[in-house]
Amino acid sequence: MTCLTFRNLKYRYPHQEKLALDSLSFTIKKGEFVGLIGANGAGKSTLCGAVMGLVPHFYKGAYGGKILLGGEDEDDAIEVAKTPIAELCRSVGLVFQNPFNQLSGARITVYEEIAFGLQNTGIVREEIRRRIEAVMELLDIVSLRDRNPFDLSGGQMQRVALASVLVMEPEILVLDEPTSQLDPAAGEEVFRAVETLKASGITIIMAEQKMEKLAAYCDRIILLHQGKIVDFDTPDQIFSRDDLSDYGICPPLSYLVAKKGAEKLDIYGWKPHSSRDSQDSRAAQDSRAARDSWFPAEIFAVRNLSFSYVPELPVLTDLCLDLDNRTTAIVGQNGAGKTTLVKLLKGLLSPVSGSIWYRKEDISGKTVAMLARDIGYVFQNPDDQIFKYHVLDEVMFGPLHIGMEEQLAKTRALEALETVGLTGLEEVNPYDLELHERKMVAVASVLAMDTAVLILDEPTIAQDYRGRETLKRLIRQLEGEGKAVLSILHDMDFVYDCFERVIVLAAGKVMGDAGGEVIFHNKELLKQAGLEQPTAVKLRNLRIK
Amino acid sequence: MKKIFYTRFNVAIIALIPTCIGINFLGKLLASALRLPLWLDSIGTCISAFLGGPIIGAICGAASNLIYGFTTGDNISLIYALTSMGIGIAVGIMSRLGFMETFLKMLLTACVAGLAAVVISTPLNVIFWGGTTGNVWGDALFAASQAAGMPVFLGSFLDELVVDVPDKLLTLIIVFIIIKGLPKKLTSLYTADDEIKSLD
Amino acid sequence: MKTISLYVDKKTYLTGLHPFTKLFYVIAAITAPLIAGKLSGFFLMIGISLILLISGGLLRKALPLVVFTFTILLTIFLIQGLFYQNNVTPLLSLGQLVFYREGLLYAARIGLNILNMLFSFALFVLSTDPFIFVEELERAGLPKKAGYIIVSVFQIIPQMAAAKNTITDAQRSRGLETEGRLLTRARAFIPLLSPVVTSALINTRERSAALEIRGFEAKTRKTFLSERSFSRSDRLGFFLMLLLLSVAVLWRNFQ
Repeated sequence: MTCLTFRNLKYRYPHQEKLALDSLSFTIKKGEFVGLIGANGAGKSTLCGAVMGLVPHFYKGAYGGKILLGGEDEDDAIEVAKTPIAELCRSVGLVFQNPFNQLSGARITVYEEIAFGLQNTGIVREEIRRRIEAVMELLDIVSLRDRNPFDLSGGQMQRVALASVLVMEPEILVLDEPTSQLDPAAGEEVFRAVETLKASGITIIMAEQKMEKLAAYCDRIILLHQGKIVDFDTPDQIFSRDDLSDYGICPPLSYLVAKKGAEKLDIYGWKPHSSRDSQDSRAAQDSRAARDSWFPAEIFAVRNLSFSYVPELPVLTDLCLDLDNRTTAIVGQNGAGKTTLVKLLKGLLSPVSGSIWYRKEDISGKTVAMLARDIGYVFQNPDDQIFKYHVLDEVMFGPLHIGMEEQLAKTRALEALETVGLTGLEEVNPYDLELHERKMVAVASVLAMDTAVLILDEPTIAQDYRGRETLKRLIRQLEGEGKAVLSILHDMDFVYDCFERVIVLAAGKVMGDAGGEVIFHNKELLKQAGLEQPTAVKLRNLRIK
Repeated sequence: MKKIFYTRFNVAIIALIPTCIGINFLGKLLASALRLPLWLDSIGTCISAFLGGPIIGAICGAASNLIYGFTTGDNISLIYALTSMGIGIAVGIMSRLGFMETFLKMLLTACVAGLAAVVISTPLNVIFWGGTTGNVWGDALFAASQAAGMPVFLGSFLDELVVDVPDKLLTLIIVFIIIKGLPKKLTSLYTADDEIKSLD
Repeated sequence: MKTISLYVDKKTYLTGLHPFTKLFYVIAAITAPLIAGKLSGFFLMIGISLILLISGGLLRKALPLVVFTFTILLTIFLIQGLFYQNNVTPLLSLGQLVFYREGLLYAARIGLNILNMLFSFALFVLSTDPFIFVEELERAGLPKKAGYIIVSVFQIIPQMAAAKNTITDAQRSRGLETEGRLLTRARAFIPLLSPVVTSALINTRERSAALEIRGFEAKTRKTFLSERSFSRSDRLGFFLMLLLLSVAVLWRNFQ
């Protein structure tokens, strides 16, 4: 039975020339699980918004063709463009990327947050109560009932957002990259919820960057490129296409293996950064040396560092660490103290006890502004810093503030923009860019300061395959220039690929400090720190068996 | 006339108002954190007036004061909701007349907003505070005017004038800088035609 | 999550009263002395508010809300005592400064009025949950959208204050100075304010889309999750306050 029909759908945002969606025609059957893939900017979110009626009711602009909900017969189907969203929301539910902005902002408990939509649509009280209990049970959030939704972790928040849409009992659920702005552990929480829903038989359309997941869930997949449908077929067919990289898609590793054979793919020779010989033992020696010696190391020497925001809750305890210019990833679960550590290195926080030395100088005597010349720090959320009208001015702000001459600052800024792949966007308003591009602007704005140390906080979140490749190149380039790259990451595939040294933090202590090859084969350690094995390591282990 | 006061009450506007009230608070917070000698507590009101028109500006201004009263237990500031409404209406009308397009025109808007604030606040100051405003510089001027035997109203008017006009000037300069940087995809929510064009 | 509301959930008879009863108290407390037109009326009313605050265990929370006005009150006494237009009767002199009876009386009237307003209002805000207050207003006919605006401000402000701290760190990381001379500090204002404001405004775009999806524009009448009605103590409260207002009217006409 047909559930959703697109007939030659076209759409253009206000004040834009290009069509965001161009002549889409397809049908989806009731109970189907359909994936939606394509590079950032291909039109995935617009398509999701079109099913929900946000396109055109909310965003306005220009619209053509039609979308029918229910049957193919126009008489008993609902036509999206002719039905107000307040009615459509009984038939379609949409969950989007950022869980934070999806909360109503007007409810102080999870229970009331879930009730919000039902209250608006005038459902009777007993029915509201029944439905909320059922949906909380289904998504395993009963224990969150009385918490303030804004106090939840990203994964919990996204499940609450999912619950508050699901509670409207829609026939079609649209998920617009629901995990793209979450760290992998939180993403897993959401994926488990999606699995539950798949089992319940509801029709689902899901845009997603994690191809492994789509391959596992989907009945069919839509491949979108520049607003047009390239292909709509089963995962096997889609992922066997030879031209996927033209559309910014990297197929799941398992498909690559099946297609080319492990030998060609060179899984054994898969060059994780850490596999270069003797690195591991060197790292191990270093961390021992840090404890034994008082000689400050090349870049940072951390000695007996303790920190807490409130005395009862220590964040870091008696930490000793030497950091040099090897590429270093700091991994560990949320709350392990990763961000706190780098903020201490950057001088944004002051140690409660212990000391931090930068190039053999104690940093306690230096101000943040002084350290700005040496240590660059890219915050996780680019919107915490962007304030200029043009990308170029934004990128030049840092260099100018550390006293670089204007001409040099401009040269550096242009180079940095080229490195992050934003050439041609210099004169654009940063806020007219998408999140993944704004993140690159933030990276460039610190890169242009040409600091000896670069600290990156979760650079890969919200990036697609191409964005990750750009970051990889950037890190390798900096490494080649002899600069120190330090990054907080949740993405173990990326860590395994790019970083020479991996520091595992848990509960404010260093639990492991070695090359990726050593760390990611230490199952006991990974389990204790709550970390995943990188896909490449998992696959190789499978083949060895 | 109709165009100047035309107001939408769609969800985009409704969600804008609490954010702008938050901006008012934040301006005040930041001004005191950086120890600047002005209030800067109507930035949000002016932004909402620019995006939504005079009526939205008035609502945002009034609601700011009402809620502020709730968070400080100060019900006298509730009365000054009238002043904030005046600022919102003034900036809203001026922006609809095109007086936020260039920097120079914006300065005129700032003066109008400052005067609106003074004209509405002065009687309130006289009724509730006997003419003082609570700002050191303004009150020193008020004391001098009273010592010189000037009428209360005139003294209080001057007291308010020296505080409000510079404050609104700086506020609108900041607002001008911010709104010039707003991305099109946001402003189009408030300015795009309600009509959806057909591509068929 | 931190809240900016002053409400303290003490679970006393005061918190149990209907918000409208307490709101009516504020109105009655402010108007009664004005109707009566006597200075002693203010004293009486402030006394009642204080007794109520003590009985609800709220006095300690209420004092800071009132104390901040003392410097302003002092200014008023100074200016009016010295320079009030109708000053004729000198009362006391400190060196060259002469304080007059008329000016001081006028200042006392202003000061007592302000204190009375503040104490009665403190009683209301300290014992009333703003979320319940708004829900009751909505039940009484306040449009859903107006209710939404009020309630969401209580959530947005702590978020923006937190964002302000992160942004300060991010900009300092890029070499921005936030301390020093007035000009340096003033220059920091835009780089610090602009990111919060712009990203908050951009978030409203998604937030409003999210509200649409949750049926915010539906024309149907909203369902309330709980019932709340006027209790016997609420009715008693209303009766007492009407009595108070009538006494005030009588008092005025008595002379």
